[in-house]
Amino acid sequence: MANMAELIIETRDLVKKFGNFTAVDHLSLEVPAGSIYGFVGPNGAGKTTTMRMLTTLTRPTSGQAWVNGYSVTEEPRAVRRAIGYMPDEFGVYDDMRVWEYLDFFAACYDIPEIERKKLIDDLLALVDLSHRRDDMVDKLSRGMKQRLSLARTLAHDPSVLILDEPASGLDPRARIEIRELLVELARMGKTIFFSTHILADVSEICSHIGIVEAGQIIAQGSMDDMRAQIQPHREITVTLRDQEAVETVKSLIGSVEGVVGVNEMEPRAGRYRLRIDYTGDDEGVAELNRTISGAGIAILGFAEETKDLESMFMRVTKGIVT
Amino acid sequence: MAEAALYSQITETDGVAGVALETAARVLRRGALLHALLAGLMLIFALLASTRLVPSLYDLAQQLFLLSYGGASDAALAIVIIFSLVNISALLVIMVSVLAREIWALPGLLVLALANAAVLLVLGYTPALITVIVGAWALVRLLRAPNVLRVNPVMMRELRGRMRGARAFVVMSIYLALMSGFALLLYVIFSTASSLNASAATGQIGRVLFAGVVGIELLLIIFIAPSFTSGAITGERERQTYDLLRTTLLATPSFITGKLESSLGYVLLLLFAAIPLQSLAFLFGGVTETEVILAFLILTITAVTFGTFGIYFSATQPRTLAASVRTYGTIAAWAFIIPLVIGFIVNIIQAGVFGNANAPNAPGLEALLQYVNLLLTSTNPFATAIQTQRLLVEQQVIGLYSVTLASDGSTIPMISPWVVFATLYQAIAAILIVLTIRRTQQVDVNS
Repeated sequence: MANMAELIIETRDLVKKFGNFTAVDHLSLEVPAGSIYGFVGPNGAGKTTTMRMLTTLTRPTSGQAWVNGYSVTEEPRAVRRAIGYMPDEFGVYDDMRVWEYLDFFAACYDIPEIERKKLIDDLLALVDLSHRRDDMVDKLSRGMKQRLSLARTLAHDPSVLILDEPASGLDPRARIEIRELLVELARMGKTIFFSTHILADVSEICSHIGIVEAGQIIAQGSMDDMRAQIQPHREITVTLRDQEAVETVKSLIGSVEGVVGVNEMEPRAGRYRLRIDYTGDDEGVAELNRTISGAGIAILGFAEETKDLESMFMRVTKGIVT
Repeated sequence: MAEAALYSQITETDGVAGVALETAARVLRRGALLHALLAGLMLIFALLASTRLVPSLYDLAQQLFLLSYGGASDAALAIVIIFSLVNISALLVIMVSVLAREIWALPGLLVLALANAAVLLVLGYTPALITVIVGAWALVRLLRAPNVLRVNPVMMRELRGRMRGARAFVVMSIYLALMSGFALLLYVIFSTASSLNASAATGQIGRVLFAGVVGIELLLIIFIAPSFTSGAITGERERQTYDLLRTTLLATPSFITGKLESSLGYVLLLLFAAIPLQSLAFLFGGVTETEVILAFLILTITAVTFGTFGIYFSATQPRTLAASVRTYGTIAAWAFIIPLVIGFIVNIIQAGVFGNANAPNAPGLEALLQYVNLLLTSTNPFATAIQTQRLLVEQQVIGLYSVTLASDGSTIPMISPWVVFATLYQAIAAILIVLTIRRTQQVDVNS
């Protein structure tokens, strides 16, 4: 189980008030090590403020937060060593070359000069900017700047990346590139905690999700758990050659335990489709498949539909707003 | 201890190295405090002695703190005070450089200790022992953590950016063009004037040219130095790079000193570039090397101190514009408006009391007014430069001299204003750097 894993970011009743305005209201986060955690919520929900508290830039009004086991208020330097932070605004030093930008931040992390050259080459290769090594930073496209920013966060080999809206304002291609980079980094063992309001990003790459609204977490957990929570049964779409097959499958499956409903869908491109609502586990799904093919029926497609995240998001957040 | 907590917060360096840095910095700060106590004690001595209640205090001070000085004992007291003030500033600046892990902290410490040892041997200035001991102690501590000192990354980045492209070249060209044009203008005017009455000494044209160039240089530096520093921290905030830096392991002292080094380094470059122009005066004669060196010293100290005014307001203000306004406002008030107003009042008193035939016999008041005048002169770099040069040319005075009071014919020790100016400005710069670091950390904690 994912929530049994070691937590690399944990907050308990985190509160941040600006005057009378409560930006973050008793927020408790649990980010397991090695996860890609999508921190989702509408604008102004307190995502950035939470991240600023986790990165030691803002002190919480009350509550506790730990990163990699270190308290953000008690041991800020240990926390800074453990995190790579990318704010939503790209900090531009307009008078620097790409390699100098990385060299400067590496030096700020006390990396000795002899190690820096190789480090910069490696980082640039990782984010695919080796060919722009000697260009000025402000000549880069937005997507490239974002990738350079990501390289900067990796300079001191942190265990957690805290990224504020890493894909905002990017064109589709650049967004996909960033997404692939994040997956690659997760594979290298980094925990990635990023905020976004683009649900497609989350459903593509996240292993965990936390939904925040008005400064409070309203749902969090692994994507699988969340899906199961939102979606009480699985939806399986079976594509068949003709109407006859449809009838046969209906009669075959209808009585199987766990099958809640079998509905015919509109034929598409001359293919007939059946939707099976099923509450069983993976083994049961395989058994369904075997039953159908065992009856000598040609199966053109057998797929479990994942219910899209948007409807899930709408369903969870609606309760709070109204 | 609260003090220990404060320090670990300031150094922001971990492990054995952090402890070594903290101890070294603390030792240096204690040394500065000791010198401050000594200077305070000397001031009390001077006050008591000037009331003539305990006249032997002067001699006591000389016997204790300035063993082998041959001059007057009251002058000896002044020397002790000035040396202690210089030591305070130097120790504070090196303390900051230790906290900022500057590579020059080691040679700086060595030079300071050696200079003090030399003064101890030559003049018998015994308080030098404080600096020597404290310096050696800090040096030993630092040598235990040899790898933590390094070239400041902020300075490297700033200099790379500043010296790239046409901008640095253009600024320097404009600066030199302005001064050359001004020097040429002076030469043309003066040579026409002197050819008319044909009585001007050869040396005079050189002196006027030199004074003119240094004057315009001073004016430019007063505007340029703060303009580089007043945007140092606010500029990072405005470019949204400040948060990036704060999440790195870069300590606040490193950040501040890096900023100062890069901007003042560039200003220093401007000053060096103008030396040939000043030296034109040598062609006409009438100017000595001493004048050139003293002028350079006054220019440098003005640049450094007004530069720290800029960085202080850059740390306390949210925007560059607000920081600039406050910096120039404070400079105007400190160096021009306040001394003018007080000087006006002092002169009225002086004229009213001592101006007429039946002047009262009040040597204490007269001496006090003389010293206030000296202090006022020393707050303004222009007045300092003019008065220093006047003393140098007319009386061949570089440092100490004595003034005879009109009241009772007794003499009081006086000092050339550049000494007071240098000490005062250096002390202000050292204090402002320490304050800037504090303020920056406070703002960070409270945000």
